Formats: sequence, structure tokens, C-alpha cells
Amino acid sequence: MMFDILLLVYIVLGGIFIGAGVHFIPVGGAPAAMSQATGVGTGTTMLAAASGLTGLIGAGSAYAVSGGDFAYTIVLGGVSAALMISILAFIANVMYVYGAGVPLSSAKIKYDPITKWRQDLYVSRGTEGHGTPMVSFISGIIGALIAGIGGALVFFALAETYNKIGGFAATFQSYPAPYYIALAAAFSIGIFFLNCVMASYNIGGTIEGFHDPKFRRIPKSVAASFVVSLVGGLFALLILPMLTGGF
Amino acid sequence: MDPQMMVELGALTLVGGAALIAGVAEDLESDVGSQSNPNSQVQLAPQMGYLHRLYNKAISGEPASYPFYAAIGASTALAVLSVTNNYSLIGVFFALVAGAFITSLIHGVYATTSYMGRIASQSRFGQPVYLDVLRTHTPVLMAHGFVANFSVLLLTWVLIEQNLSPFPFVVLAFIWGIALGGVGSAVGDVHLGTDRYYQDRPYGSGVNAAHSGSVVRKAESGLRNSIDCAWFCSKFGGPLTGLGFGLVVYLHFWKEVVVKGWWSPVAGVIMVIIFIVMNVYLESYSRKRYGTYKEESE
Repeated sequence: MMFDILLLVYIVLGGIFIGAGVHFIPVGGAPAAMSQATGVGTGTTMLAAASGLTGLIGAGSAYAVSGGDFAYTIVLGGVSAALMISILAFIANVMYVYGAGVPLSSAKIKYDPITKWRQDLYVSRGTEGHGTPMVSFISGIIGALIAGIGGALVFFALAETYNKIGGFAATFQSYPAPYYIALAAAFSIGIFFLNCVMASYNIGGTIEGFHDPKFRRIPKSVAASFVVSLVGGLFALLILPMLTGGF
Repeated sequence: MDPQMMVELGALTLVGGAALIAGVAEDLESDVGSQSNPNSQVQLAPQMGYLHRLYNKAISGEPASYPFYAAIGASTALAVLSVTNNYSLIGVFFALVAGAFITSLIHGVYATTSYMGRIASQSRFGQPVYLDVLRTHTPVLMAHGFVANFSVLLLTWVLIEQNLSPFPFVVLAFIWGIALGGVGSAVGDVHLGTDRYYQDRPYGSGVNAAHSGSVVRKAESGLRNSIDCAWFCSKFGGPLTGLGFGLVVYLHFWKEVVVKGWWSPVAGVIMVIIFIVMNVYLESYSRKRYGTYKEESE
């Protein structure tokens, strides 16, 4: 039994979405913890994975509840990821404002393109900005939405493929989760990390969102994600003919 | 109200509470162990000539180490359950405790080797290995790690028991570990890095990059160690991290339990909009309250 080519297209598209989405997410890296850089204070890969995989949990629930409805899975995956990053960035901003006593600002732009508020005067000496100002906040939500949709696409394609393998629709004892969802989730996490790491090498440290000059490097990332998801997706999908005997 | 929803809401409350405790314990663990973004400052300090008595263990980033702890704990708990075959409340409870216990032992091994390796590599700058720091801090961070991991395992188990997620136990624990590490690293670290490590600098500004590495080494009494940092961060950084992770887990499932079907994503979008509005308010408040750092020159 051969796998459906459309599902490979979903995986490649999902991988590109994940790679592109990472570029939108405001990442301050280690300097953000010392209020030296704008963005959320953790690594690129990790922040994207934390939000995108929370989206994957949403997509998994949606897939199981709706019995494999494509649109519902994708939308709930994206929205769950966006919700995760909006909570994370907001709570981190509460920390910056009430814990560290710094206003939210960015040193890379003079005026915030969304709120039109002046930025450079609010940047403290020897830093590149602090917290997640509005433009980065919105950019992060867009990025998590795209990355979450990408993760859900990959999960959907893999779950649709693996449930055709004989015996995989069964469950372990009284456990509610069928085997194919477990395998699809594990492989989706793998493909998610592949694309996140590619994108984070492309970014190289910190990025503030779509207004950052580094954002223009995105085409390279798309090309890399295309190749890596094609190869990764092919391996993930070839399990089907391997286990069902012959191509 | 639908009785099934009542049960699910009760489970959700338990899950939210477990997530809150997990967040607090996770952040305090990273403060005691100095495993997070501010670790860059602790690592840099001896090279700048500032010898210190802080713990130093960056095993890896928090969002990488916590999923692996959670996965180890979840696998151990499942192994214990498959042997005892006791799926009663008390049987599951002790299986989860066993999982978290094995995890904290592994955590302790990593912490010890990481501390010894990192500090020993700084001997060329004259940084001594303090065996009393190793002896006093390692059990503390293992204990905090135990609480954090047990809470993650508990919330994952409740979610699966209530059929709120189709993912298997280990994979779900792994993903919640990433989210927990992400929140702990993004929120709690700021209190430690900006405030506690640079308490001798004026409050209310970012740390000037030129001051990197000059961490505070004297305490209220005697020399500062990392347990003092956890004490300080337990006043704001820890609870806020707990609130963050609790909200992530609670709101994520709230929108799937309370509203069904296509209303779930709609509820999610409404929540995102509420957070955007609150962020606008917060940003405007911070600008008005704290003012500018420079005079306008043009």
C-alpha cells in the first residue's frame, strides 16, 4: 500500500509554515533575562517548540474529537499555539514591568509601527531594549499561529497515514489513545524540531519579529525547510508501505 | 449543567493547580541551580575576576531538560504500573511518586557532574570548587525538581484519565515539559537575572552590557549563595511563573471543555484579543509610570 502524495504535500507545507513561523516569534535569548534585549527570554527553537507543540496538543484533541476533520484540526492547532504565546509574552511583560521596573521597548525601531509609540527614549543605557512591545507581541502571535498550523498539518498527514496500518487503530488495554496517534505525535515533534532548528540557525541568536532586519532572511529558511521536510516526511510516510508489506 | 462537564471542570481545576505548583517549583529549581539564561552571568563572572559561591549547572536550556525529566518520569511511572498492575488512585499516586523520584536522582547526577565540570574548568581564573555549596545546594534543587516533575506527571495523568487528550502519557508529559521549561525560562529568569544578580545597580533599568559578569557576591549576611537567590525569587518570579504555566494549561483546556466544536477556536481567539488589550494597557502604564531614560534631543 502506497501513501497518499497529498499527505506528503501537507507535511512539506507544514514544515515550511513551521520554519517561517519561527521567524515571527520575538526571541530575546539569554540577554533578555538581564533586560538587555527585546523579546521573550529563551532560545528560538525552544520558544517556537513550546508554543507550537502546545498547538499540537490542541490539534491532537481536535483530531480525536472531530474524527479527523481537517479544517477543525488545523484551526484549533493554530489558535492553541497563538494562545500559548500570548499568555507567555504577557506574563513575561508583567515580570518586566512590575519585577524589573523597565518599560517595554525596542532599540531597532524608532516608532512602534502598530501603536506609533516612540521607542528609543525608553531604552535604558547599554541595552537593546526590554520586554515585548506591541509590534513584537503581535508578530509573536502571528508566528505561533503559523507554526501551530504547520505542526497541525504535519500531525494530520501522519495520523491519516498511520491509521491505515493494520492493528494501529487499537488501543493499549483500557487506555483511550490509539497507537497511530502516539506514533503520529512522536514523528510530528521530530519534524517540528527539525524545522525549528533550521530556522534558528538562520536567525542566529535573537530576533524581534517582522520589523527586524533579520526577518529578510526568511526565503533561505523556506528553501531549507522544504528540503528537510521533504526528506523527513518521506521517511515518516514510508513506514506505511514498510509495515503493510511492499510498495 | 452536563454532569460530564462538571467532572471535566473539576479535573481541569486540579490540572490548573498542579500546573501552578509545577511552575513555581520549576522556577525556584532553576534559581537554586542557576540553570537558565542568567547562568551566562554566573559562567562569565570568574573570567571577569569576580569569584563567587553561586551554584552553576547549565545542564541544558530549561525547555530542553524538563521534557526529558518528564519523559523519564512518565516512562518510570508506566513501568511501575505495568509491574504492580494497580490502577487504583493510591496505586497511580505511588507510581507517579516513583517516576518523579527516579527523575530527581537523575537530575542530581546531572547537577553534580555539571557543577564539578563547569567550576573545575574555571580553575585557571582561580575559582575554587566549594564542596559545601555542592553538598547543600544539590539536595535542594533535586527536591524542587521532584515537586515540579511530580506536578507535571500528575496533571498529565489527570488529562489522560479524563480523556481530554488523545496523546499517550509519555508524549504528553514531554510536551508539557517543553511548555513548562519555556515559561520558566521566559518569566522567572528575568527576576533572577535583572534584579537579584544585579541588586547593587540602580533599580528600574536593564543591565548595561558593559556590566556583564559583575554579579552580586555579598549577601545580607556573609557571602551570597544560590539558595538566597531562590528565597528572593520565591517572592515574585516563582509565583508569576506558576501563574503563567497554570494559565497556559488551564485556558488551553478550558476552551475545549466549556465550549465545544467550532466555538473552541473562537473562544481561543477572544482570549488572545483579551491578552493583546491587556498588553496595550501594560505597555502604556509602564511608559507613563517610569518615563524615559533620555531627553528628547530633536
